[in-house]
Formats: sequence, C-alpha cells, structure tokens
Amino acid sequence: MSRIIDVPAQFDEQGFDQLAQSVGAWPPSDRLFFDARGVQWAAPYALIGLLTAAQAIIEAGGEKPLLAVPAADDVRSYWGRIAFFQHAGELFEFHGKLPRARGAQPADTLLEITPVRATEDVHQVVGRIQEGASRILAGELGLEAKATMGFAMALSEACQNIVEHAGTGGWVAVQAYNYRRRLGRRVAVIAVSDSGIGFRRSLEPTQAKRYGDRWRDGTALEAALIQGVSRFRDPGRGQGLAGIKRYLQRWQGKISVRSGTARIAIVPAWDDDVPLVEDLSFFPGAQLQVTIPAQDAGTT
Amino acid sequence: MIETIAVARMLREAVTTPYLNLVTRPTGVAVRGRIESVLARSEWETAMLDFSDVVLLDLSCADEVVAKLVRMAKERLGRIVALRGLDEHLWESIHAVLEHQHLAVAVLADGTITLLGSVPADVHRLFDRLESSNPLPAAALSQRLGWADDRTTEALDAAVSLGVCRSTAGGYMRVPLA
Repeated sequence: MSRIIDVPAQFDEQGFDQLAQSVGAWPPSDRLFFDARGVQWAAPYALIGLLTAAQAIIEAGGEKPLLAVPAADDVRSYWGRIAFFQHAGELFEFHGKLPRARGAQPADTLLEITPVRATEDVHQVVGRIQEGASRILAGELGLEAKATMGFAMALSEACQNIVEHAGTGGWVAVQAYNYRRRLGRRVAVIAVSDSGIGFRRSLEPTQAKRYGDRWRDGTALEAALIQGVSRFRDPGRGQGLAGIKRYLQRWQGKISVRSGTARIAIVPAWDDDVPLVEDLSFFPGAQLQVTIPAQDAGTT
Repeated sequence: MIETIAVARMLREAVTTPYLNLVTRPTGVAVRGRIESVLARSEWETAMLDFSDVVLLDLSCADEVVAKLVRMAKERLGRIVALRGLDEHLWESIHAVLEHQHLAVAVLADGTITLLGSVPADVHRLFDRLESSNPLPAAALSQRLGWADDRTTEALDAAVSLGVCRSTAGGYMRVPLA
C-alpha cells in the first residue's frame, strides 16, 4: 500500500516545504508515491530536494518510492535535460513516460544536477561552472567580472558542507532563470541538498550545552550562519558560510538554509521572506539555496 | 634565505584535475603538506608563496595553506611567510581568513611590499616608513612619523608580533623579501 504525496504545481522553495509537510513523520512508515503529474514549474532546489527525499528513505531502509512524472511535455523535458531522471533512476520507481533522451543541457543551466560525495566532486563542480558562470553573471546578470570568482568560491564552500558535515552524499545544481514570481528579474541560483545529519546534530557535541533548553534546529542554524560557529575548535573553521554571506552582501544576494524543522535566511531588500521559520515539517539533512539577482533591471 | 614556492605546482602535484583551483580543505591540507616538505629540506628564513597561475582560492584552502603556514612561521621565531602573485580575488580570500584569525602577511606586488590581513592602521603607517636593509631605532621612527614614543612602541610591538617587522641590534626593519 502506498501513500500519495502531491508534488506542488509551483515546485519552488515554498512548494518543497509543502511537500515535506505532506510526507509528515520521518521516516515514512508506508511506501510513498510522489505524484508530479501536475507540476508546471520546478526550481533546481526543489528537484534536488525530491532526490534527497528518496535517498533518505532508502538510506533509512524504506522501500524505493514511486514517482509519477510530470504530464506536461516541456516540464518533463526540462527535468530530463537538467539530469533529474538520470539520477532519479536509482532512487524512484517511475510511472509515466520519460523523455526519450536527455538532450542538450538547457542554455541557462550552469551545472545540471550533479552528485557530491567527495572532495574530487567539488573540484569537478567548481571547474565546470567557471566558464559558464562568467558568461551568465557578467553577460546576463550585469555583475562585474570579478563576481564570477566569488560565485565559484560560494559554490565550493556550499558543496564542501556536504562532504565535511553531512556524513552522506548530496546534490548540487546551478542555474539562471527569470524569477518573475518574487523578483521580476533574472537570477543565478546555487542549490545544494543532502540527506545527512543536519546542522543540529553536526553542532550538538560542541554547542548544545551553551544553549541548554533553547537548542533546536533554528538555534543551530543561527549559530552556523549568523555567528559562524563550527563543530571544530580550529580557529580557521566556520568561515565558509561567512564567506558566502560577504559575497551575497556585495551583490544583494540571498541565502537560505533549511535543516530539520527550521529554515534561516539572510534576506535582501528585494525579498519579503522571513529571517527564521521554525516548526516546519521535519526533512532530513540540509538544503541550501543561494540566489544572486541581476544587478540592473535593464539587463534582464 | 628566501625559499620561493610555486603554489600552482604544488597543487598540480597534489590533485589530479585539469583546473588550477585551490579549493576544498583536504586539497589545502595536501598542498600545505607538500610546502612543508620543501621547507623541511631548506635553510629558509622567508617562505615566499608564489600564487601565480592559481585561478581560484576558496576560504578553506586560504586557511589551510596561508593562515596555517603564517601561524607555523610565527611559532618559529625569525621565520616568516610572504606572498606574491596574488590577483584581486585571491587577495580577498586571504585577507578574510587572516583578519578572522588576527594574522597578517607581507605581500610583494609590482616591486612594493604591502600588508594583508589583520593590520592596525598605525602598523600600516609604520611599515611604510620602515626600510628593508637599514634598521631604524624607535626614536628615529617616532620622529619620522611625528608620533609620541609610546605610540611608536605600541605599533612596533604589534608589527613584530604580526611577523611583518624585525627587531635587530641597530633598530627595526621590514622583513626581508628580496
């Protein structure tokens, strides 16, 4: 017997939270059937989150979930070109027609969905996006050429969080798209997700005592993102997220990190997100999204 | 003596990728290990890390390669780490990790030496008046800078502590980079 989980039509950050809410208690006791037939638009963040859900279910000893693929040709085709189905094949049992071949990567995709399991993967990811990042950040988003290096640095640090802290593999994707719904401008987005131990458990051995009863997912995220706390005692640690924050301040970017039952964000003026949301439905690991907007509406 | 180390070469030896990106902490550890091996076989006083050809440096590697070597040199009195071949991006990454850890380093660029990291304004001003080959007594520096002796002493102590200035029998001088 399987339980149907509707994948929201607008499958973005908020859509992903809805999906987590539908899954409910973790790990799910019954077999899940993710129904994506009605999806009209999906962000890389949500797609790698869906892969993470299946990965976490399998890692927890659950049955491989089912996935009804999107009904719309263009949506299904996009999922194929960003390599979703390529990786999902090991994690889901598909229902519905898959695109015939993966086809060309979308022109605005800097990095299709890519697994991150080891240091070598981070080298590959960073090396592969550099040329395209320059074309999109400087050419389409109107950022100065030097922004490319900071973007690659942010990507490197975000991916390293998986390798160093998650205790399992994860996923990354980088894409530029028109973010009409909230911003009305083009953006470049780095999305990273893993099904690992999450921020609270990672920091618990060194930080939980300091916080006492207040120690939970939200305080762990605040400690990591706002205070630059690391689980290591080495004074050089804990600078990765701080470096990403500095980069985003310069380019009016946004970072949001979801882990466990909380999501924290550094919110720029163009967005109306809240800085901290707690009491979300639990989801394993950590999901990070970095958004860099076009600097000038004229360039979009 | 000055031991010059091409960081890009160390990176090529440590990692088998086609890119000259100094990224990830394990890569930084591997590159630092190779640099330390070179230094262990040398009678070095100054380790000049040449970053020419390095395309990208993330903060984890800036910490593992630069900050940890600067700290190591500080613990071995009389030895220093200096840098050259930095572009703007590398400069920013290194500055961020050094500032966070209250460290500083001398950088050779276009024939001039500048300081990078956690450097108080007075140490910058003092450093500009110091010479590389001619030690100056503290009193002479006070005169040059128009400062009270206490202020000069404080800035000199900070500069010596950061490892960017040396105290000799004849007075104070910049760390030798050439």
